[in-house]
Amino acid sequence: MSEAVSTSTEASAVADFESGKVTVSPGDFRLVKFDGQQICDVVAEMAELVGIPNPIRIVVDETTPLARLLSELDGTSSDAQITIRAESGALEDTRRPTVFDHDRTATSIGRMLLRARDRMRPDFADVEPDIELSVEALAAWDAYSAGRLAQLGRPINQQRWLYNYRNRFGFSDDTDAAFERLWVADDIGWPDVMNP
Amino acid sequence: MRQFFPVEDLARDERFVQTNMAERLADTRTARPERVPKSKSRAASAKLTPDRREASDAARGLMHGIMTGEIQALEGAGRTAHDFAAGDGTNDTIPFELKLDMARQAWDEARHVEISAKLSDWMGTELGEFAENTVLFSAACSDDPVLRLAGVNRALEGLAIDVFTQMKEFGDLAGDPFLEFCEDWMLADEVTHVKMGSDWLRKVTANDPDRRAKALEFQRVVDKLFSFGGLRGDSDESPIALARRFRELAGFSDDEVEVISEMDRDALEERKAQVQLAQEAAGLQPEPV
Repeated sequence: MSEAVSTSTEASAVADFESGKVTVSPGDFRLVKFDGQQICDVVAEMAELVGIPNPIRIVVDETTPLARLLSELDGTSSDAQITIRAESGALEDTRRPTVFDHDRTATSIGRMLLRARDRMRPDFADVEPDIELSVEALAAWDAYSAGRLAQLGRPINQQRWLYNYRNRFGFSDDTDAAFERLWVADDIGWPDVMNP
Repeated sequence: MRQFFPVEDLARDERFVQTNMAERLADTRTARPERVPKSKSRAASAKLTPDRREASDAARGLMHGIMTGEIQALEGAGRTAHDFAAGDGTNDTIPFELKLDMARQAWDEARHVEISAKLSDWMGTELGEFAENTVLFSAACSDDPVLRLAGVNRALEGLAIDVFTQMKEFGDLAGDPFLEFCEDWMLADEVTHVKMGSDWLRKVTANDPDRRAKALEFQRVVDKLFSFGGLRGDSDESPIALARRFRELAGFSDDEVEVISEMDRDALEERKAQVQLAQEAAGLQPEPV
């Protein structure tokens, strides 16, 4: 375990927290009750679960309770760095705002790691960066990712992701059938994610 | 049966975790509109609409808040029906017909709890998944039934009108037939509850202007609390809009709605200043909120 200078956007330089191949920024939280080691532990657990050996950097925006997540990859090799940008709501206990939650963090990080792993595939090469993805594309990718986490044994509320998918693609039997195909898929390319 | 039940003694099972306004306001993060390229967003407005990235989870959280609010509204109306003896409205009594209206409201709220719980399930939310803010029941703990009418029926149920209108529109835009239908149905009840509060407040205080003034002042305090730091208001920065037309139907005058709108604006500005100060004090550099 070691500490390095942060490259985050906070006004005062706060050291990053590092553990193994995982770096968490900032290393010290002021507005939420998060701990760098806890986050590293969950990230390492999920990286092992989904089979990702890459170095991973987690950048948490603790100034917002929203829960947006972005995943970036600086290459497609096994040593390419994965950067996950998380608004603090994505890692907190929804019953106790500002308090860290292991399961919620595991689901959030797991989805982003699967998204990064997908981006290493040739059939995801043309996919826009996360920040430019439409809400429909995000919903489809989230359904595919959450489904794979469920297949890996993570406790996932399927109805939550179905509801999100319906909000983006319509409330119909066809939409539900498409969602079901995504939910049980585990090795498909981007065209099939968007048209399951 | 026990009378005057404090908020701390509300019966909940282990699934529910309660919070209050003090705890909520101590959280000095801010839910500013999302920062994505303008071509991909409607970021100019913070209104809760289905095209927002976080829309589904935000709607789930709001729906859960509605459900716990309905539980507390049921408890509040039930308490008011039970806590005061029948009489002419003086000396801690309430007219018997007011008791009947409170009993009817409790019946309505019980149905709303069931509807909200089923809607939460439909949206993929577990009971107790989000914190329960007990501020709603707190407004129903006054020793004066007229203050309860002002705080619960006019301020709390008035907020319910705003929230249900927003959620009904959300369901309509998303094409969610259950959400739109259920919210519309509950909205009709809420308009009735506010109207009952408005009518009884006038009747019971007809010969007591001081008591009426005190009740309306209490309503303003509760209304500002229920703005939740600008969560509700006419501003584009407020996710929930002030439902002016339905408030009019419920017996609010134009002047009263304008006062609420101004309080919402004040609450939003106060909250933004509070968040800015807290984040600067923490050594962070918040974006302008």
